[in-house]
Amino acid sequence: MYLTGYDISILRFTWGVIEDILNHSKSIKSFNIRVREPRDLDPGQFIMLWIPGLEEVPLSPSYYDGSLMRITVMKRGPTTEAIHRLRIGDRVFYRGPFGNGFKVSNKGRYLLVGGGYGASPIIYTAHKIREYGYEAMYVEGVKTESDALFIDEAKSLGLDTILVTEDGSSGIKGLVTDYIEEVINEYDYLLGCGPEGMLLKLLELCNRYGVECQLSFEAIVKCGVGICGSCELYNTGLLVCRDGPVFDSRILSRYLGGV
Amino acid sequence: MDLRVRLGKLELRNPIILASGILGLSGSQLRRVGEYGFGGLTTKSYTIEARRGYDTPILAYVKCGLLNAVGLENPGYRELARVRESLKDVGIPIIVSIAGSKVDEFTTIASYVDELGFNAIELNLSCPHVEGMGLELGDDPNYVYKIVSGVSSIVSIPVYVKIGLHRDIMATVGKSLDGGAEGITAINTIRALAIDVYARKPVLSNVYGGLSGPAIHPIAVRIVYDIYREYGIPIIGVGGVSSWDDVIEFILAGASAVGVGTVIASKGLDVVREILDGIKTYMMDEGFKELSELIGYANK
Repeated sequence: MYLTGYDISILRFTWGVIEDILNHSKSIKSFNIRVREPRDLDPGQFIMLWIPGLEEVPLSPSYYDGSLMRITVMKRGPTTEAIHRLRIGDRVFYRGPFGNGFKVSNKGRYLLVGGGYGASPIIYTAHKIREYGYEAMYVEGVKTESDALFIDEAKSLGLDTILVTEDGSSGIKGLVTDYIEEVINEYDYLLGCGPEGMLLKLLELCNRYGVECQLSFEAIVKCGVGICGSCELYNTGLLVCRDGPVFDSRILSRYLGGV
Repeated sequence: MDLRVRLGKLELRNPIILASGILGLSGSQLRRVGEYGFGGLTTKSYTIEARRGYDTPILAYVKCGLLNAVGLENPGYRELARVRESLKDVGIPIIVSIAGSKVDEFTTIASYVDELGFNAIELNLSCPHVEGMGLELGDDPNYVYKIVSGVSSIVSIPVYVKIGLHRDIMATVGKSLDGGAEGITAINTIRALAIDVYARKPVLSNVYGGLSGPAIHPIAVRIVYDIYREYGIPIIGVGGVSSWDDVIEFILAGASAVGVGTVIASKGLDVVREILDGIKTYMMDEGFKELSELIGYANK
């Protein structure tokens, strides 16, 4: 929480070079970036990626090993469109990491839930969980089959992997939260990232079934270090950039009440 | 150990005030900050219309502090009714910062602030990164007089003028007092620039920003000292406070209250308790029972 100190030198920009680009779909690409300066980055923490002349975009990497960082970006506006135009060999500026990520050091069975491109920090978390050797199931919810992002990668990590599509074009048909309700009882922890509606539903399910959860929220982040106040979570006074972006069920229940 | 201070008409349980611009965008944010032991809180600057602020990057890291160009982001002054509502039982004075470009903008917001029952007004005449809504206003002593007298004549609560590095600081202060200000908040951030050497471009989208943090502290202390010496009025000292001794230094220079801001980014909100503990230890070690004895001590 915000009580603690922070090394604000993470506000200094650093950069990396694009080594590889993967086109997931028309609107989503992943970029493998060889970073110049290793900075510790937990799954769920975020960076601010900067296109000089345009804006900064908060992104939670989909993979990081201290040398290679992968970011997964959906086209949503001028800056993300400019990111999509970047090529292999281009330099990418960023600062961070900011905020609190997913905590996966407790032994137990993890249920990992990614909605849309919210699957980014979830797949990075899956890598960490495998390093720890814990059991996990990876569930990705998308509109249609071509939107799926990391299903093969999750399988290659040896995780039980489920794709849920709203239109039933692949995997299980329906809403990811309906599927989660069927299996949530078998798990100790739920980690989720995705659209707000999905997160609130997951919180409700976790409260109902007594499963501890950590959920990553998205917001308009400007300063990144908890002083400008632009990224307040609803009207709680909590700041997504500094108190989050990952909040645990204890904090969410206290501040959001019985959502 | 008595940390209470009198800031003009206001009684503060301790001299530490949340400086304007930090987490004062909503009532819920101020409410939360209020739980950390501050003696008073200042809102972000409110304007007539809502402002979305500048594009990112709005913050740049420099070795001696931070540079910001937030662009006076705020939801517009009408939102202050909700802010007041959510702060009604917070129990410490709330100062509302006001920005504008014309006298009637300041007076419209000020009378609303007074009506809502806030405790004081701070006129931001020194924002270094929004053209026509800050530093230039404070640079013109005659315009300062018009704004301050316009506001002071219609409100019942104390009015403070937040100054920056103006062309003639003493003239700006003098005209503020002539206009009816109870005191001065000194100082705002100082216009500055940071360039990323690899991007080879200014970091801030607005190019220029306001420098805060340790670099500006001695400048702020000088200005507080000079104002106290010349006028002996209530002063809120702001600028680069990073620990308790910076607060004591401001008080010795003549400040009755001290604003903190940038340090919250690095040390978190709990820095308030750390500062208050440091002040208490200092007072005990040095044999002072009341903090107010120290106001202006170095100036006597």
